[in-house]
Amino acid sequence: MSRSVSTTEPRWMRWLLIGLALGFLVLNLALPLAAVFFEAFRKGWDAYVAGIVEPDAIAAMKLTLLVASIAVPLNIVFGISAAWAITKFEFRYKSLLITLIDLPFSVSPVVSGLVYVLVFGLQGWLGPWLQAHDWQIIFAVPGIVLATMFVTFPFVARELIPLMQEQGREDEEAAISLGAGGWQTFTRVTLPNIRWGLLYGVLLCNARAMGEFGAVSVVSGHIRGLTNTMPLHIEILYNEYNFVAAFAVATLLAGLALVTLAIKTLLEWRYRDQLHVSGH
Amino acid sequence: MTVSAHNIVKHFGAFTALNDVSLEAQPGEFLALLGPSGSGKTTLLRIMAGLEFPDSGSIRFDGVDVSTRPTRERAVGFVFQHYALFRHMTVAENVGFGLTVKPRNERPTPARISARVDELLSLVQLGHLGDRYPSQLSGGQRQRVALARALAVNPNILLLDEPFGALDAKVRKDLRRWLREVHQTMKLTSVFVTHDQEEALDLADRVVVMNHGVIEQIDTPDAVYNRPASAFVCDFLGNANKLDCTIANGAVEIGGHRIENTAPPASDGLGVAFIRPHEFDVAAAGQPGVPVTLRRLTRTGPMAALDCLTETGALIEMTTIEPPTGLLPGAALTLVPRRVRAYSA
Repeated sequence: MSRSVSTTEPRWMRWLLIGLALGFLVLNLALPLAAVFFEAFRKGWDAYVAGIVEPDAIAAMKLTLLVASIAVPLNIVFGISAAWAITKFEFRYKSLLITLIDLPFSVSPVVSGLVYVLVFGLQGWLGPWLQAHDWQIIFAVPGIVLATMFVTFPFVARELIPLMQEQGREDEEAAISLGAGGWQTFTRVTLPNIRWGLLYGVLLCNARAMGEFGAVSVVSGHIRGLTNTMPLHIEILYNEYNFVAAFAVATLLAGLALVTLAIKTLLEWRYRDQLHVSGH
Repeated sequence: MTVSAHNIVKHFGAFTALNDVSLEAQPGEFLALLGPSGSGKTTLLRIMAGLEFPDSGSIRFDGVDVSTRPTRERAVGFVFQHYALFRHMTVAENVGFGLTVKPRNERPTPARISARVDELLSLVQLGHLGDRYPSQLSGGQRQRVALARALAVNPNILLLDEPFGALDAKVRKDLRRWLREVHQTMKLTSVFVTHDQEEALDLADRVVVMNHGVIEQIDTPDAVYNRPASAFVCDFLGNANKLDCTIANGAVEIGGHRIENTAPPASDGLGVAFIRPHEFDVAAAGQPGVPVTLRRLTRTGPMAALDCLTETGALIEMTTIEPPTGLLPGAALTLVPRRVRAYSA
């Protein structure tokens, strides 16, 4: 194989650059990941299992799954609606809506958590009213769900908007000219056209929903067995010097990340054309 | 079915796409909407289909106002420029789509749908490709699938947006003839949009020439070519030399030289004259006509193409079968127009 014309750098320079990149990856990604598993199994399999089956850990996992199973489906609905509205219709303040969708990415999660405390907390705007009706949002599951939804909102919409923009409106117009109703057009034409992009967005959304720390930390109240999600539970264990249990639960989150990454890579490899530009 | 548009006006923001446009397609007629891009032809077609709604004016099918009816209730077959085939469905599923989305009580049985799909696929000569996906077909085949899909629901009218725009020249010509046959067999009323004048003249019963959101002329291909109603139509249809002229007493003067045989007569004053390349005779210098200097002569078989410059420096391109022999660039000649179309400037 001959060297391409564009790589004119000397050999040592190329190896230096490759080495730097590799070193960075090992130091910042591979090593920490290995450390998580190493620490988790440091005291053997039994200690690892004990850390995971402990009641508070089980409660944290259940809560994380519950939050994700509410936040992700709702964000699928919101994300598709937003992408649909932005790409298939013309209206004023469209760019404002696009900016708003990106807001959760640009705001620190801690700030978004605090905003919810400000609105729904006891001293907040709606606090007295909520208390009068005996509804608790902050330091309870609804607050955690709200904060998670806010932080993960952009994932589905951001994935779909460029895809649907690229696909244009012609397919939908063809469907309605053939007599299809709105729902038929959506389920039989739009949804199949975006299915892989949607799955991709949902994966990322789910990974973030389960791993979210900052915003959830602010609104949760850290009540063991009640309002602790997995990331919060890990932090508490770590702060109590219970390293084995902390890393044991962390392996589950790391495992989730690895599975997400694997499926994401598979999708990108298998459906590359349908994730981005779908040629006619 | 008669399709008519009445005083259609459509704006996109500050841009006027259609400005008081009216036309009528007779039952069984094949109508071409011809014009440059931005002339409003596609917008008019989409308004007929109900994919756009006019700011004012109405669309009528057999005299019934359908302006507020949504697309799905108009029963129009629409063929899109880029076909808009559903990429995740097979060819057969694409063609049958319009039947499978019908309300349950009107929907044919799966066996009936499948029979209808087979019938349409053989009509468009794709009977063997029902199991393929659109991405596995050539452009011409996709176009025929799109047509079969539009015809599956027995549309009142067939609307085609630049149906051959994305195809190469050879395929385009074959498909054109074939589309004409389908139109006749199915006894459809069809309207198609094109910017290709050759296509419009070849295919349509009548041609609607549009420019800047207004209709310049509606007439048979022969009439729009031979009796263009405006300078724009004359310029847009076929090559023509465009020369400044003055009109006095019903005759055209180019560079002060009087030309006979002027049609159509325009009012006196400054004007613009159109003369097609083959409508000149070549005569020796000093004869009555337009004096020119030969700049270049190219022979292609029996025909010769001459580029000449008038006294005012305007370029005239003309073709002739028997040019005088021994002509060299720089030679002085007279061009005698056999036919001039003059319009007031």
